[in-house]
Parts: sequence; C-alpha cells; structure tokens
Amino acid sequence: MNTLVQFAVDALSLGGLYALTALGIGLIFSVMRLANFAHAELVTCAAYALFALSAHPLVMAVAGSVLVAVALAVLTERLAFRTLRAADPTTMMIASFTVSMLIQKILIFALGSRPKSLDPVPVLSQAVWIGPAQVSLLKLVTIAVCAVLLLALTLFLRRTSFGLQMRAAAENFTMARLTGVRANAVIVVAFALSGVLAAVVALLFAAQTGFVQPRLGVPLMITAFVATVIGGMGSLTGAAIGGVLVGVVTTLLQVFLPPDLRPFREAFLFALVILALLVKPNGLFPARGLKERI
Amino acid sequence: MTGATLHGMLLRCAPLFALVALIVAITLLAGMADAVTVRRVILSLVNVVAVIGLYIFMGNSGVLNFSSVGFMAIGAYVAALLTMPANAKGMFLPDLPGWLMAAELPALAGPFLGGAVCAAVALVVGLPIMRLSGIAAAIATFSLMFICYIVLGNWTSLTGGQISLMGLKSYVGLWTACGFAVGAIAIAFAYQETRWALALRASREDPVAAAACGLRVAALRLGAFVLGAFVCGVGGALYGHFQGTLRVESFYLDPTFLLVTMLVVGGMRSLTGAVVGCLVISLLTELLRLVEVGVPVPGTGITLGTAAGFGDVVLAALMLLILIFRPNGITGGREVLGKLAGSGGQK
Amino acid sequence: MTALLQVDGLAVSYGRISALRDVSLQVNAGEIVAIVGPNGAGKSTLLASIAGLARPAAGSIRFRGDSIAGQPLERTVRRGIALVPEGRHVFGGLTVLENLRLGATIRGDRAAVAAEIAQYMALFPILSERRNEPAGQLSGGEQQMLVIARGMLSDPALLMLDEPSLGLAPRIIDQVYALIETVRQRGVTVLVVEQNADRALRTADRIYVLNAGAVRLSGASVDLRGKPEFEAAYFGIWPEGVRP
Repeated sequence: MNTLVQFAVDALSLGGLYALTALGIGLIFSVMRLANFAHAELVTCAAYALFALSAHPLVMAVAGSVLVAVALAVLTERLAFRTLRAADPTTMMIASFTVSMLIQKILIFALGSRPKSLDPVPVLSQAVWIGPAQVSLLKLVTIAVCAVLLLALTLFLRRTSFGLQMRAAAENFTMARLTGVRANAVIVVAFALSGVLAAVVALLFAAQTGFVQPRLGVPLMITAFVATVIGGMGSLTGAAIGGVLVGVVTTLLQVFLPPDLRPFREAFLFALVILALLVKPNGLFPARGLKERI
Repeated sequence: MTGATLHGMLLRCAPLFALVALIVAITLLAGMADAVTVRRVILSLVNVVAVIGLYIFMGNSGVLNFSSVGFMAIGAYVAALLTMPANAKGMFLPDLPGWLMAAELPALAGPFLGGAVCAAVALVVGLPIMRLSGIAAAIATFSLMFICYIVLGNWTSLTGGQISLMGLKSYVGLWTACGFAVGAIAIAFAYQETRWALALRASREDPVAAAACGLRVAALRLGAFVLGAFVCGVGGALYGHFQGTLRVESFYLDPTFLLVTMLVVGGMRSLTGAVVGCLVISLLTELLRLVEVGVPVPGTGITLGTAAGFGDVVLAALMLLILIFRPNGITGGREVLGKLAGSGGQK
Repeated sequence: MTALLQVDGLAVSYGRISALRDVSLQVNAGEIVAIVGPNGAGKSTLLASIAGLARPAAGSIRFRGDSIAGQPLERTVRRGIALVPEGRHVFGGLTVLENLRLGATIRGDRAAVAAEIAQYMALFPILSERRNEPAGQLSGGEQQMLVIARGMLSDPALLMLDEPSLGLAPRIIDQVYALIETVRQRGVTVLVVEQNADRALRTADRIYVLNAGAVRLSGASVDLRGKPEFEAAYFGIWPEGVRP
C-alpha cells in the first residue's frame, strides 16, 4: 500500500510536469503545425529568472519568471516564426531548434555553463504522511498545481469566446480566418500561454532538482515532445494524457525493471514509443484535421 | 534518350564533377596550411560524409530522420572493436569475448565493416518504421538514436559504457578523408540517379498519391534508409578514428541536430545542399572560433577578440537568419550545374 | 448605381497554370447571381480570389467601391463578405452551437446574435436537437444548412456559396435552395457557384458561364433558359471561328 501511494505520487507528479510541458508544445502545434523545440528554453529562462529574483518574495519571483517566459515566447514568434509560417513543417522545426540553440548559447555566453543552485520554495522540501506512506510535499503540490492549471486551460478553451476561436483555428486555420478569427492574435496568445505553462513547469522542476543550468529544459522537452506525439499531435487532450502516460510508464519502468536493466530504462521507454507509433501513427487521440492546414 | 551518349552522360554528371572538384580543391588548399587547419578540414570532410548519409534518406524521401548519429555511433564502435590493437582493447574492455578481443583487422576495413553492420541494423529496424511520415517518423527515428545512445552507453562489457575508449588506430589523414568524402558524394549521386530514387522523390511530392501505392513507398524508403545508414556508419567510424578516442557522448543530441541543421540550411533536397550546408557551417564555425581566439589587427599591437561562447551565439544566429531568409536552404534544393545536367534540380 | 461587387479583368494563376484569364463580372445588391461551368472552369478560384484566398496576377476586385484584391482573410468577413466554401468545412470537433457562434465572431451585439441563432434553430430543428453535439456528426445536408447559417451570422452584405448542392440528394438540395431564397429575402446578396446548371437557372437572377478560365456567356436566367448557346458555352463547344 505504501509503495502504491508513493508510486502514484511519483508517477502523477512526473506525469503532471510532462503534461504541462506537452500542452505548451501542443498549443503551438495545434494552431501553427510548428513543433517548437525552443519551448525548452522558455523553461530554462524562466528558471534563470527565478534564480535572478531569488532574493525577492516568491510571488515577485514567480511573476518575474512568467513575464520572462511570456515575453521570450512572443518575441520568438514575432522574430523567427512569423516569417516562416508558410514554410514546410521540417524547416519550421529545424528553425525552432536553431532558436533553441541560439538562446542556449546566449545563456552560456552570458551566464556560463555551470549549474547554479536554486531553491525557490524551500518550505515544500519536506515529507508528509498519507496514512502510513511518506511522500514528498513538493510532489503533492506539483500534482495539485498541474491539475489546477489543466482545469484553468480547459475552462479557458471551452468557455471563453477566444478559446473557441483558438479551437477553431486549431482545427481548420483557414476556415477560422474566414469567419473572422484573427490569425496573429490566436498565434500570439498560444505562444503567450505556452510561456505561462513553461514558467510554472520551471518553478516546480527547479524546486525538485535544486539547480538551474543552460540545458535545464531540454530533457523535459524531449520527453514531453514524445508524449505529445504519442497522445496525438494537435490534440490538447492527447498532449495532456500523453504526458501523464509517459510519466506513469517511466515510473513503472523505474520500479519494475530488474536492477541490471535499470540503466536501460529509457531505451525501453523509447522502444515502447516506437511501438506506440507503429500501432497509432497519429497518436492515441488524434486531433481532427490533423492532415494538413487547408 | 538523355544520357545515352557519352556526351549526354558527362553532362548529367556535371554536378558530381563539380562537387568532387570542390572537395579536392579544399583538400589541396588545406594541404598547404598549418596543422590545426588541416585537422579542422579533415573534421569537415568527415562531417560531409555524415551529412551525405543523412541526405540520402532525408533528401530523397522527404521524411525527417534523426537517427543518423546513432548509426554513426554503431559504425564507430564496430570499427573500433574490430581494428583496435588487442592490448588497448584489453585495457579498456577486459570483458570482451575472445574472438572480438583478438580481432585486429586492417584499419581501413573498419569503416566498411562499421557501415555494413549499420546497414544490417537499418534493414531490421527500418522495416516497420518506413510506413511513418512527418512528426511520427521524426520521433521514431529520434527514439532510434536515443536507444543507440542508451544501449551503447550502458553495455559496459562491449563498449566500455561511459568511459572513453582510447588507442584507436589513427589513419584518417587529409587525403583519406578526402577520398571518403568523394566516395560518399559518388554513392549519393549514383543512388539519386537511379529510378528507385526517382520514384521515391515522386512520393515525396505527393504522399497521398503515394499512399495509394502503399507498400512500394515503404520499400523504396527502406532502400534509402539502409544506404544512408551505411554511409553514416562509415562517417562515424572515420570520426571516431580521427579523434582517436571514442565516447558515446559524442553521438548524442548536439551532433544529431547539428547534422540535420547543416542539411536543412544547405538545402534539404539536393546533394549540393548537403555538401554546401556542411562546408558553410564548418567554415563559419572555424571563422567564429578564430574571432573568439583573437584576430590581430595588422600594423597595430591590438588583437580583436571576443569572450568565449560568442562564436556559438553568432553561428546559431546566422543559421537562423539563413533559414528565415531562405527557407529552402542556401541551394534552394537545386544541384550545382543542375541546369547543365538537365535535371533542373529536385524542386 | 454602383455594383456591390465589381470584378474587372481578373487573372489568377497557380504557378504556371492559369486558372482565370480576364474575368469580368458584377453583382448588384439584392440579386442572386450564379456562376456555372464544368469542373476546372475556375469557379472556385474566382470565389477564392474575392475572399482573399488567392492573389490575382492582374485585374481588380471592388466591393462597395473599395478595392479588395489580395487582402488578408480576416478582412473579408469584416467587409461584409461571407464565404461558404466547397466541401462545407464545418468545425467537426466543435459543437453545432459553437460552429454557429463562430460565425458571429466579428459581431459584438450578443443579444441580437443569440436571437438570430434561435431563429436558425427554429428554422432547422435538427440544429436545435444536436446543438451540443459535434458538428462532424451531422449529415451532409445538415452540415450545409449549418455552414450557410454560420455564414449568415456574420451579418454579411454578400454571401458567396461554392457548390452548395455538391454531393447532396435532390430533396436536400431543395431545402438548401429554399434557404438561399430566405437569405435573399433578408436583403443579403448571393453569389453562388454551381456545376448544377439547372438549379442555377431556376434560382438565380443572372448567370455567368465560366469555362477554361474565362466568361463565355452571361445574361438574365430567363433569357438563357433553354438556349443552345448556354449549353455550348457550358460544354465548351464554341461556334466556328471562335477560339477559347
């Protein structure tokens, strides 16, 4: 029972982080068909902002990091991705990777590549008891925050008129524009939202790992990216479910693989990914109108 | 029929001759430079081989492929294991099976054997994956690279795992690298002129129509994938033996994306694009490195230099700018002298 | 009186293929004008250029006197032109109600919009029944009603329909064209593209026959009905000495 509770907490908190990151990627992909590698840098820069503001009250630090992530996201859209909207998906993806590299190199140039220690919410670094099981408070808070954000995003998309416009644009961008949806507005908001999600992930992830370095966001983004594809590119529900699923499977593998195979855990994960793609190339919950933007 | 006459055939091979001439010219120039430059040029030529391996599949099929570096790793380790002197092997890899420990084949056999193993692996893993397109293919091939990295990085008895293997035979001199680069160009050119490659490119343009042909497309892609894996394996072996030490870290994320970026920046759809992209980025990297180190202004005692890491920033910025202003890459998908060859490029 | 829509000398190409060559037409307020012609005549391209989906190589498109050629898509509906494209294009993953609401994106008068939506629901009970279900689950005819209603909800001056009867059973086509008649009665001008020449002749005030990218024949539908020139223009059989 202990292990089950601990397992659930571990799996869900990891899954929650992946889900939020996957949503950040999925939001942009759904309206632009752009697989944004630079999302990793949104997380990294938000974490650095937390570091820079660590002397200030938490609320200020979080606000600052959200601001940094959103500003960076919108900036990358305006400068790099707007002109490439008509390009083919491969070029866009590679461009996003180049943007990612650029930001990473700037960070290394300006701040050095040594990790800097960061403990934004020390109060959460304690353990609490759920019945007989001892779990990390931080992980519980992570699960809660992820759930709240997921709910907020869902409400925004399903209950507001702008959310409706975004969902329409995600399904059929051209037709949406013909009903009056403004392309630029939808895309900029998608980027801004992805910035907010990245900042939240940065806070939770930095709190768990305890330091920030120029490549902080990369492993997170790669796994989240995989989760998005498994869940169904272009489908936000798919992204969230994919994220949680990958979190659960990763934790499962960690627990159940025999010790000498543990280092190969990620190889197993990626082998499962390939299998999943072979069975369902469009993901488990493919979005409508995924084929192409008409 | 075009190409039937000798004159026609020579014209069709114009891009091939141009690219080979370019490589040979670069090698000749490098031969006159200092040792450091020579090493840089050799590295560029080895990268040319790798990018061509990537191009053979990606350029002709239009399908995104992130697995090249994984095959480079396999090629490198296979070549190393089969050609390293036994005492070096014994030092780093004490648990090798006897026959492998004793194997010490001629150094030049290494790349070809490495490539052959890669081709075999590609045949097996590529079979199911070739049905995928777009993002799914990107993730699947990326997963392949990742699996290679993890497996090679943890199969301690076979590869030494995380430690660096040292004592590889060094034979990758300037003209050896040149020879392999020319060979890679020739293989890629010969392949892309075959009717299979032509059919594959046709499927690239209209995947919906291609879907109606179903299986055939997957088979065509597999052919390109296997050939590309072979060339990547050769490139990996060359890379490893050029460096002299082998670390699984060298075959992970950064080179994966660098290779694809080189190809896309050069122009994904042409062999010239692959070569040009690689050379341009190598050249830029080199120039920016020099700027970082410091450029003495003649006549004064001043050396202009920048802080470390600045070169990387500029390189990334330049690559981004190239993509923004020329989304189809520097060559736009056309071959050098393509008009002469009558192909008009692969647009 | 200036025409609501005036197209002069329009030429549109896709790469090297010329889809429209020197097309001129006009639509006056309150009319129903039909453009007929066989497949590949360029009819969809014509509507696409007016809507801003295709950029003309030459010629002018004026709406209410203003030039609208090459403008961004979002401007089209804000000028008062609603396009119902070929193939319906409902937002299949969104509900029927959400599809209708989207039609009113540019409008701010929520109460009036709600009232109009209620009217369309009353007109088509099926829309009311399925209001919270995904629009992708409606039948072809129901979807066609939905997208026409969606187009109308933007309060346009001109409603453009591309092949509204395509793939629909004759009884459903009757309903669609009855809806188009209702649209005219609300004071909205209609420009409809049709392969179904018979329908066009029955409903429209004026007809343009488009073939191979050019207008071959035009006139009042009463005048063209049953005339051999009409068939000839439609099928591309030109009289002696006349080249396309």
